[in-house]
Order: sequence, then C-alpha cells, then structure tokens
Amino acid sequence: MLAIETKNLIKKFKEKTAVNGINLTVNQGELFALLGTNGAGKTTTIKMLSTLILPTAGEIKINGMDIRKDRQRIKAILNVSPQETAIAPNLSVKENLEFMAGVYQIPHKQEKITQLVKLFQLEEVLKQKAKTLSGGWQRKVSIALALINDPEILFLDEPTLGLDVIARKELWKIIESLKGKITVILTTHYMEEAESLSDRIGIMSAGNLVAVGTAQALMEQSGTQNFEDAFVKIATGGDLS
Amino acid sequence: MRTLNFAKRNFKEIMRDPLSIIFAVLLPLFLLFIFQQFHIPNQSYELQNFTPGILVFGFSFITLFTGMLVSKDRTTSLLIRLGISPMRPVEYILGYLLSVLPIIAIQNILFFILAVILGLKFSINLIFAMLASVLISLLFIAVGIIIGSLCSEKASSGISSIIVQLVCFTSGMYFPKEALGKVFATICEWLPFESCVTIIKEILNDRSETISARNIAVFSLYTTVFFVLAIVVFRQKMTSDNKA
Repeated sequence: MLAIETKNLIKKFKEKTAVNGINLTVNQGELFALLGTNGAGKTTTIKMLSTLILPTAGEIKINGMDIRKDRQRIKAILNVSPQETAIAPNLSVKENLEFMAGVYQIPHKQEKITQLVKLFQLEEVLKQKAKTLSGGWQRKVSIALALINDPEILFLDEPTLGLDVIARKELWKIIESLKGKITVILTTHYMEEAESLSDRIGIMSAGNLVAVGTAQALMEQSGTQNFEDAFVKIATGGDLS
Repeated sequence: MRTLNFAKRNFKEIMRDPLSIIFAVLLPLFLLFIFQQFHIPNQSYELQNFTPGILVFGFSFITLFTGMLVSKDRTTSLLIRLGISPMRPVEYILGYLLSVLPIIAIQNILFFILAVILGLKFSINLIFAMLASVLISLLFIAVGIIIGSLCSEKASSGISSIIVQLVCFTSGMYFPKEALGKVFATICEWLPFESCVTIIKEILNDRSETISARNIAVFSLYTTVFFVLAIVVFRQKMTSDNKA
C-alpha cells in the first residue's frame, strides 16, 4: 500500500510557484530522501504533505486518506521533526516529552516516554532544560518528540544540519533503526546521508521533481561515478557537470 | 485536555523566566509600597485609588510576557510541530489565556494583601474588584497574543513596552486625566486603560453605580475586538509563517 501519493501537486505563493505539479509515490515502510538545492521546494512539499499548509492545486493522499477531507485523521498518524529543533526551551527533556504526549493524548504516556528515553539514550539529560542542550542532543530530543505518537509517517527536515560527524552518525543509527517500521521522508543537503540511509531518492529543482530512484539508479541515469556528481548533474540539468 | 496541557507548558515557560516575576509582580508591589511612603497629597495616590492602577499596570506586563511567549514559539518552530498535531487554533488561544490566569491571580492576591497591610480597608468589595480585574486582564492577554503573532521576540518586548507606557500615562493611575488638558482627557476616555482602572476602582470603593456606560462600552468593545483580532491574526500567522 502507498503511504503517500500526490497527483499534480502545486503550491503558489502569490506569483511565485514553489512546487510545480509534483507526482510522487512513497511506499509504506520506505525511507525516502528528498534532495534539492536551496529554494527547490523541498520544505514546502514537506509542509503540504504534513498538513501544515494546503496545496494550491492537486491531490495528496496519506495512507489512502485525502489531505483536505481527512485532515484531522491524517494528523493523528504522522509527525515531524522540523528544520529548527522546535522544542520548548525552558522545559526539561522529560517535560518536553510529557508535553507532546499530552498534545497527542497518548493513553499510557509514561510507558511511551520510558521507551523513547531508552531508544535515544536520553537518561543523562532527562532533567536538563532543553535550551541548555548541545545541538546534537537537541536534534535527538526533537526526533524523540516526533515519535511520541508512534507515527506511521515521519518527516525529518534536515535532521543532521550543523551537527558534528559523531552526532550525525549517532542520529543515522537511530534513523536506520526506524527503517521498515515506519515510513520516513527525509530532506537533507548531505549526499552521503541520502545515499546511505534511503531506499529511494527524489531530486527537486525549481519546484519540480526531476528524478526519482535509488542512488545507484540515479548514478546510472546521469552517467556519473558518484552520487554527488549525479545529484549536481540532475539538479542543474547538466550545467555544472 | 489539550488546552490544559498547553496552558501548563506555557505557565512553566513564563514562570521559569525570572524577569517575568520581577516585572509582573515585584515591580508593581515595590511601586505600591514606595508611593505610600511619600504621602503624596493627591487623591490618585490614596490606597483605594492607587491599588487598582497598580493592578492594571501589572497587567501591562502580562501583555509583554504573552507577546514574548507567542513570538518565541513562532521563532523556535514549536508552532510548526504543534501545527502538524491535532491541536486546533482555539486550543492554542485558550492555552495561552489559561496559562497567564494563575499569574494574574498571584498578582491580585499579593497586590491586595500589601494594600491591606498598608491600610486599605478589607471588605467584600475587594473580592469583587479582584474578580472584575480577572475579566479586565483578558484585554491585556488578547493584546499580547496579537503582538506576539505579528512581531519577533525582540520587537514584541519593544511594542509591549508602549502598552506599559500607555497604561502609565492614560489610565489615570498617576495623575487625573484632566491634568493635561481636554484633548488628552478625551484620548484617555477613548483608550481602554482609564476605563479598566475606573471599573476596578469604583467596584473596590463600593461605587459601582458611578461606572459609566462609556467605561463599560469602551472596555467591552476593545476586549471583544482584540480577542477576535487575536484569533484571526494568530491563525493567519500560523499559516503565513509556514510559507517557505
């Protein structure tokens, strides 16, 4: 079954077309990476898929449900870790988890929190105020918060942006552990991240989805030896290669 | 339940910022205390007249903290996370509103306790004045939500300071509105702050019948309009902040 299906998805902001007729399908349990240069339309696409903004035209189906008609039901089965960490700064890590559990009305919230604390190894920072955490810890907490409602679809918007290599590898391990269990849509600027984590990759350029496939298929399609060159060639239409 | 959960989080965020307590509670308490030590020969500074003014002055800081909290939530993207959740706009507004009500209750209780210690006569009217002031605080919360929805965190504190100044100069708490001439008095009458102070003052002094229709109309109109505006602006900003 398809987790996400879009048909001719368009988003315009006044005269500017941010997303220009995207047709995309993502399978359940798939880890799909969405790549593109700055302003390519990745974040706008994620915001539409995650119910934050409505499309100007086109269709979005999440687990077969229509984004316009079944908005509230869709909201219950997805979650997001935004580009910025989006945590309550003056609350401790535990209080942040309890707060989000309350937002989603999780029935056995202490059990769920304990499970997430274990998965993300948050014990040592549990009582620490979120604003005092390092960037790596904040990202971890942000993703943990996004898993509070056991989402069927998880959007990770540049989850490792600005992290050092060790913190990034730690997060990769966590993201890999989610593979197959839930559908993950990941946006990133790091080519190696997309290549090593994702099942398939979509490349966006100027609001269009210009290529979709595995990293290997995209390299073959572009006739390049490594994925970074493949991305540059596809995203620029060959202008920089 | 979601509303209460959100209100609880907001309350913690505000209370953990020590500046909130200093400005919203300690500063007005200090002013109430210190002005009574000067024995200023002016009716405005008599306890039964000055306490309601101090109360409304304290509310202007509620505007400041509500504004800063809303703008901070917008800039830290917490509202993106919540925007994707099943929370509805009305739950946000009620959550912000409920979170500051305990602070208003704390202000009310402490200001009146100090006033009684300083010599204000205790009566049942004091309780009625406290209840009326909770209603009046709604205006200041609504203004805070509007400011926080429209401005950045830094700008919110700046713009809210204008409200603090407007309360000082146009509420009649420090000097009668007629002291600066007819035009100034008319401006004070058509801004809501003088009506806010007058309503609390007259209830406190058992003169409810002297509250004018203008006082009630001005306060009700501003509160209703600002609340509707707060909901509309907040909803619009939640959408427009996400245009990227």
